[in-house]
Amino acid sequence: MADTTILEKDLHGAHAHGEHGHDDHDHHGDRYQSAFIDNYMFSMDHKTIAKQFLITGMFWAIIGAAMSIIFRLQLGFPGADMSWLQPLLGGWINIDPATGTGTLSQEFYYALVTMHGTIIVFFVLTAGLSGTFSNLLIPLQIGARDMASPLMNMLSYWFFFLSGLVMFISLFLNTGPFSGGWTAYPPLSELPQASDGSKAGATMWIMSLVLFVVSVLLGGINYITTVLNMRTKGMSMFRLPLTIWAFLVTAIIGLLSFPVLASGFFMVMLDRTLGTSFFLNEIYIADTALTERVGGSAILYQHLFWFLGHPEVYIIILPAMGIVSEVLATHARKPIFGYKAMVFSILAIAFLSFIVWAHHMFMTGMNPFISNIFVIFTLIIAVPSAVKVFNWIATVWGGAVRFNSAMLFSLGFVSMFISGGLTGIFLGNAAIDIQQHDTYFVVAHFHIVMGVAAFFGMYAGVYHWFPRMYGRFMNEFLGKLHFWGTMIGAYCVFGPMHYLGMAGVPRRYYSFETFNAFSEFDAMNQFITIAAIITFFFQILFVVNFFYSIYKGKKQTEMNPWEATTLEWTAPIHAGHGNWEGAIPHVHRWPYDLSRYEDREFIPQTEPLKEGEKDGGH
Amino acid sequence: MEIFIGFLCAVLLTVLLVQIAKARELATAVRADHNEEYEVNKLQAGMGVVFMVLFLVACVVSFIYYAPYVLGWGVNTAASEHGPMVDSLFNTTLLVTSIVFFATQFALFWFAWQYRGRKGHKAIYWSHNDQLEMVWMIVPAVVMTFLVVQGLQAWNTIMVDEGDHDIEIEATGYQFAWEIRYPGRDNMLGTKDFRKIGGKNTLGQDWTDAKNIDDVVASDIYLPVGKKIRVRITAKDVLHNFYLPQFRVKMDAVPGMPTYFIFTPTVTTDSMRRRLSASPDWQVADKQDDTKKRYETFDYELACAELCGKGHYSMRRVIKIVSQEEYEAWLDKQEANSTYMSIVRNLTDEEKAKGKVEDPFASTTKGELLFEKLVAIKDRVNTQLKSLNDALIVAKKAKNAAEVTKIEAAIVAMQAQQRIARITNNLEEANTAEREANRIASQVMQANLTTTDNAVIDSTAVPLDSTANKIQ
Amino acid sequence: MATSTVKKIHPKKFALWIGLTSIVMFFAAFTSAYIVRKSQGDWADFALPAEFFYSTAAILGSSILLHASYKAFASEKLALFKTFLVSGFVLGLAFVVLQYQGWLSLNEVEIFIHTNQHSSFIFMITGFHVAHVLGGIAALLFAMVYAFLPRYQATTPRRLLRLEIIFTYWHFVDVLWIYLFIFFMVQQ
Repeated sequence: MADTTILEKDLHGAHAHGEHGHDDHDHHGDRYQSAFIDNYMFSMDHKTIAKQFLITGMFWAIIGAAMSIIFRLQLGFPGADMSWLQPLLGGWINIDPATGTGTLSQEFYYALVTMHGTIIVFFVLTAGLSGTFSNLLIPLQIGARDMASPLMNMLSYWFFFLSGLVMFISLFLNTGPFSGGWTAYPPLSELPQASDGSKAGATMWIMSLVLFVVSVLLGGINYITTVLNMRTKGMSMFRLPLTIWAFLVTAIIGLLSFPVLASGFFMVMLDRTLGTSFFLNEIYIADTALTERVGGSAILYQHLFWFLGHPEVYIIILPAMGIVSEVLATHARKPIFGYKAMVFSILAIAFLSFIVWAHHMFMTGMNPFISNIFVIFTLIIAVPSAVKVFNWIATVWGGAVRFNSAMLFSLGFVSMFISGGLTGIFLGNAAIDIQQHDTYFVVAHFHIVMGVAAFFGMYAGVYHWFPRMYGRFMNEFLGKLHFWGTMIGAYCVFGPMHYLGMAGVPRRYYSFETFNAFSEFDAMNQFITIAAIITFFFQILFVVNFFYSIYKGKKQTEMNPWEATTLEWTAPIHAGHGNWEGAIPHVHRWPYDLSRYEDREFIPQTEPLKEGEKDGGH
Repeated sequence: MEIFIGFLCAVLLTVLLVQIAKARELATAVRADHNEEYEVNKLQAGMGVVFMVLFLVACVVSFIYYAPYVLGWGVNTAASEHGPMVDSLFNTTLLVTSIVFFATQFALFWFAWQYRGRKGHKAIYWSHNDQLEMVWMIVPAVVMTFLVVQGLQAWNTIMVDEGDHDIEIEATGYQFAWEIRYPGRDNMLGTKDFRKIGGKNTLGQDWTDAKNIDDVVASDIYLPVGKKIRVRITAKDVLHNFYLPQFRVKMDAVPGMPTYFIFTPTVTTDSMRRRLSASPDWQVADKQDDTKKRYETFDYELACAELCGKGHYSMRRVIKIVSQEEYEAWLDKQEANSTYMSIVRNLTDEEKAKGKVEDPFASTTKGELLFEKLVAIKDRVNTQLKSLNDALIVAKKAKNAAEVTKIEAAIVAMQAQQRIARITNNLEEANTAEREANRIASQVMQANLTTTDNAVIDSTAVPLDSTANKIQ
Repeated sequence: MATSTVKKIHPKKFALWIGLTSIVMFFAAFTSAYIVRKSQGDWADFALPAEFFYSTAAILGSSILLHASYKAFASEKLALFKTFLVSGFVLGLAFVVLQYQGWLSLNEVEIFIHTNQHSSFIFMITGFHVAHVLGGIAALLFAMVYAFLPRYQATTPRRLLRLEIIFTYWHFVDVLWIYLFIFFMVQQ
């Protein structure tokens, strides 16, 4: 079909003049004069949607973290009386009639662990991280009025909301929420007889995540289309800030991998409801042989799951990496070191992320020969990751570093990524994985890279772009306190877990008392729990700071408070729909002209090149 | 109550911090004053260096402190033949990653300090260096290659299954315990079918398969040191995982898809206890029984390492590694309780009818199955041996040195026959052993022996399982 | 306000293609799983119902008719446009009905979704495909409403784009069916 010639003004998506009545947003720069519902709830403005993702993500982060505190109480203080939690947790606390002591029910322990993982991985680190910053920054940093389809963007948020609502409701089911681990391996997740959490809870869990996949895909389609189609004049691909590269590639990864997750989940639902046996074979449970449920393979599920599951962790870390690159450069007053290498390493990581998934499956009994391939590619993926770490360190070298909260969290990110990334090298080697699989060594690894590093990237982004979102600054004292408390706290929580793993202690254990081999670590578990509680407290400081600053934070008085070079700082402080009053700026140079000249500490991308001046980065 | 107070304290602390935060914000001068910024930079960057030092020191100190617990180091060296391969790979990786860890953490925090924003200091516009990129791309790649090659060598060696194992046992995981099945004399596991599970036939063993006759679902787990053991791993209901921490053994148990792990234990339970006794951590009193030391009650444990439901953390079995002789002695005792014998063969007709149990070999008279004959022969040889042992006691009491020597020699010879009788699956071999045993006994016990009916050696019966399995 | 011309694909069309990629991955997952499972053996063969052949013809026909309707709309031949649009829609509905009939035919020979691995995959994959077709049906209904309302009788670039997007989606589910159908046939 013929391509249509597009005028720039028609690239506004919903801004095009047309027959759509109530959502005619032809107010380039005007304040939007509409009802609360249109303005805030069902807003189609990317900046508002970003805030919706952020705040919803924060809500879920608090819940997910609180869940981890509860199950850490069980692990750190197994005998302690938990009856005080009964008002909150009701029947999930078993009260011993004789002594009145309350213990956490095993079933609910596993439900908490499952929900914690699901909530943090999907709702917080995928929606809350990508959703927030892709939405906030893509149009602003590439020079577009809004996303390609603001309607789809709004839908993306509301599908996320709906997904969260379903998940939230599942917490109150009589038989309890799903408890089979965020990985939901069948047969456990498919057989109601195997676990209470595999009754209604599992169905709602899957429903919630299918809705979530829709949200991610809607968002991703938008991000990709907008970045590739709606850049302002002069914004070539190699003039994009690394944030945009990261968000673009993340969206592509998500587009290709989340549908596979959905397919796996649908197959689980068919097994659960229509009697198929995609993942079941020769089951004897609850005194019954399931003679009709044969021919399937539990391993097949794992392939489908991890085909998303592995790219998912890069979906989580890449945006954080992009944010950190940007924040480090801006506050070190230097270009990000090796911009092109950083771009290529993002691409390499993205490509490789699709061919390493079975390193989560070394011990599943799959043909050992296959594992060879996955070991090779897994250890290869360490290379572009290493390149990024070295480039970040080289960015700091020779800089004039400004130590604000955003910068601190970016530096902390690099430290955490080094620590967590290095332990991945152990696990990627199948022979080592024989011993370390499903132990606390794995728990330490993924928490440090995802639960800490990715969060640090998110925090850096929030502190750095808070003025862009709210026209105010977050409080620096609280921010620095938040940083140091979390930095120290996180290492205290997850550092010791390496030793637990090296001592062979398995993960997903309600208690270690049964085994002599694993019951020597009471003091360490107590320490971890206490450290977790204290670290959680520091996150509350952040939440308080965040909401307080929205209303009472120091006001932003200049458009470009960080003296950055990128486009988002050229839009007015409380930018309305369409971001720029008047024309969208054009771009003439790459985003890292910081400290290039003696007399100019930074040159915005919008400034034309001088006679004979070369564009940086080549 | 404490919780409430703690919560209240947290709230008050938060309020306090917020107030401090507000005050400090008001006190901050206008942004144009860089001096204050430089002070902040110095403080934060300095804290960064302090943190880095404390952090790295803590890493080293904790490492030293927890080394005694790490499997693979000190007294915890692996108890299997392949274990050291896994451990050395871990150690190599640890060495390499530690170097990178210390170097990069140091560089990060040190550069942040060195290049903090301060008066008169400008950033250097250094945007890229292709040679440097090459270097720090190629060096990690080379290191990774090295780790990959070593790793895959280890992996492929450990996972290879050439069928040359000495013993194959079967582990079946279910919610929430393990069933361990021994193959019996024929050293072959009988077939099972999940549809046949029911009543006391917890594995669904197919009794029409003669290989099942001698299989034993054991309540203890004994394995001989130095022998190559193939564990056939299955599950009944959901995924489980067969995990022996001290042996570096781990493999998922999947319903409907048997998996395996092959390993050779190298350290008996007793040896391990002796080894652990040298460590101060193990010399403390045992937590459950303070009359014993911790090393005295040490046992190898089997755990589940794949989430399988609410009892996942409680699927414990003890594994005892013993000498070959002890193993055979233990097997001897288990034999009578072969699952087939106890839940099928030895039931009365009434019990069979009640439990709807059918014996496919019912047409063979009791005692006429090959297995039954072999067990009977073994029992008789055992009896012979016991008599000799009794005679030895008598002779010792009587201080009859010559007699003692003669009997002791006979015992040694008899034990050899006992061994054959215990492990052979070949009727002729067993008969020969019994004849020999009788001969030895009769030589010694002329006066003491009551006339035994020489067991009718039935050479006309057709062995049910004609593949004779010799123990190497 | 600057008005520079940029000659490239309309973002909404581009967005559709990106979205179609995700649907491709969804069905790629199913067909990969099919291949993996089939290669493990223990695979019961059975013939695809005749209805699937007829439905293939129906959906192919509907695509052709809808393409003709697009051309008619572009040349402002509105009557022709509506005729082709409606007939394309009808054939699209026929596809859905025939698929359903195909399932019923299989049921008649005791092949249900839960009968064996092969049947599970066939029912599942064709089921999800029909679900996506129903999405296309909904979009076509949408197009028909616009086609027949008196307000919207002129050909504008905006309406042309909308039609293009709807029809592209429809052609996609058509091609997807062809791929799936051939895949099933080849695997027999």
